[in-house]
Amino acid sequence: MSLFLETGYTSLNKKDEELCGDKVETIIKDDQITLVLADGLGSGVKANILATLTSKILCTLIANQVSIDECIETIIQSLPVCKVRKVAYSTFSIIHINDQGHGYLFEFDNPQAIYIHHGSCKDLNRESLNILNKVVYKSELNLSVNDHLLIMSDGAIHAGVGSTLNFGWQRDDIKKYIENSDIDTASARALAWFVAKACHDLYMGIPGDDTTIAAIKVKRIEKVDLLVGPPVDKDNDNYYVARFLNNDGKKIVCGGTSSQIVARYLNKEVKTLFDYPDKDVPPIGHIEGIDLTTEGVLTLKRLLELSKRYLSISDLNDKRFKAKDGASLLADMLFEKATHITFYVGQSINIAHQNLPIDISMKIKLVESLANDLRQMGKRIVVNYD
Amino acid sequence: MMKITVCIGSACHLKGSREIVERLQALIIKQNIADHIELKGTFCLGNCAKEGVSIMIDDQYFNVSKENIEHFFNEEVLIRLKAQ
Repeated sequence: MSLFLETGYTSLNKKDEELCGDKVETIIKDDQITLVLADGLGSGVKANILATLTSKILCTLIANQVSIDECIETIIQSLPVCKVRKVAYSTFSIIHINDQGHGYLFEFDNPQAIYIHHGSCKDLNRESLNILNKVVYKSELNLSVNDHLLIMSDGAIHAGVGSTLNFGWQRDDIKKYIENSDIDTASARALAWFVAKACHDLYMGIPGDDTTIAAIKVKRIEKVDLLVGPPVDKDNDNYYVARFLNNDGKKIVCGGTSSQIVARYLNKEVKTLFDYPDKDVPPIGHIEGIDLTTEGVLTLKRLLELSKRYLSISDLNDKRFKAKDGASLLADMLFEKATHITFYVGQSINIAHQNLPIDISMKIKLVESLANDLRQMGKRIVVNYD
Repeated sequence: MMKITVCIGSACHLKGSREIVERLQALIIKQNIADHIELKGTFCLGNCAKEGVSIMIDDQYFNVSKENIEHFFNEEVLIRLKAQ
């Protein structure tokens, strides 16, 4: 069975710093993902340079199947030596895994990774390797569906030191915090946010150290087909609707006219309610046999705002979508759940919309931006223009 | 039973259909005629080019704005209801 890998991370910058001294780098190559989290010595520009070099070099080399020994050697030879401290140093965690959940984890001086299986947090077996006098831990990964692997910089376990907590947020406490929640059912991005948000709170909003949480999740493939806008060729409405319905994903219809075309084809009625969970988003509709029916352009516009927030690595708003307005329901299905999304974009011009801020060029632009954001989230996207 | 259908599509949403719905709901409660009226929403009725929000009483079209909603309610809804 083919599975899907999803990654996500959230970073908090140390107080008063513009740059983060932690860096996450990801490379997707064929069926493999390589993800590196590096934490450079110090903070600010210096740390950022060290972490950027380390993550970039390691990620590129490991993704190209270079051995860990050679990687470490390359890092030692390339990192600039700090004038003050006379050392060149950056910690790292490397996940190298294929879409069957098999692979390796290498860790050097970062807090030990947390493996989350069926809602409980476990430690992986680690083998210690001595490479050029550095101790690097290696773990074999065999993740199954819905498992998460969480890696972090030491800013996480230092959260709240001396203020809210005497000794910081110990790794065991982080594990308990995750176990006492239902966050393991959410995406990798949401899990990373969830832990980072707690760190932010423990630091009382003023992080004493750069803090980064990254996660990887193995998912079952979940396809979604989204129809937006009626096709130009009016006489062939049925052909386009049939093609949309015959694909094997969950079904979403965005737009008033589109939903009427689909309902007519299915011989059903579009039902709408007067529920306005959010006053700026028009109410959703219901068509029997369709998973979600919403209004078009205004809802998509809000969805795009949500996607910018969802993609941000520093935004601390909840990455899960629990509100019941059309845009939030779309966000939950598309951002949190889906892995493969096919768009069916009808380009017919609604004459009545021409002098309103909801015309066709607006719609096409929204769909394009949305598709790009979804690609950045790691989803596989296909866009058909009809 | 009289059926009042209010368009909540994109264009009508921008023209204030949410407020129109709230006003109608309030007026219906005030007149105590909820048992005689089925108020529902629909996506685009295809009348976006006209001023105001598209509303249908049974099969007849109206275009109603925030300004004339009371007039519409008194002159169209209540009078029809009495005639029934």
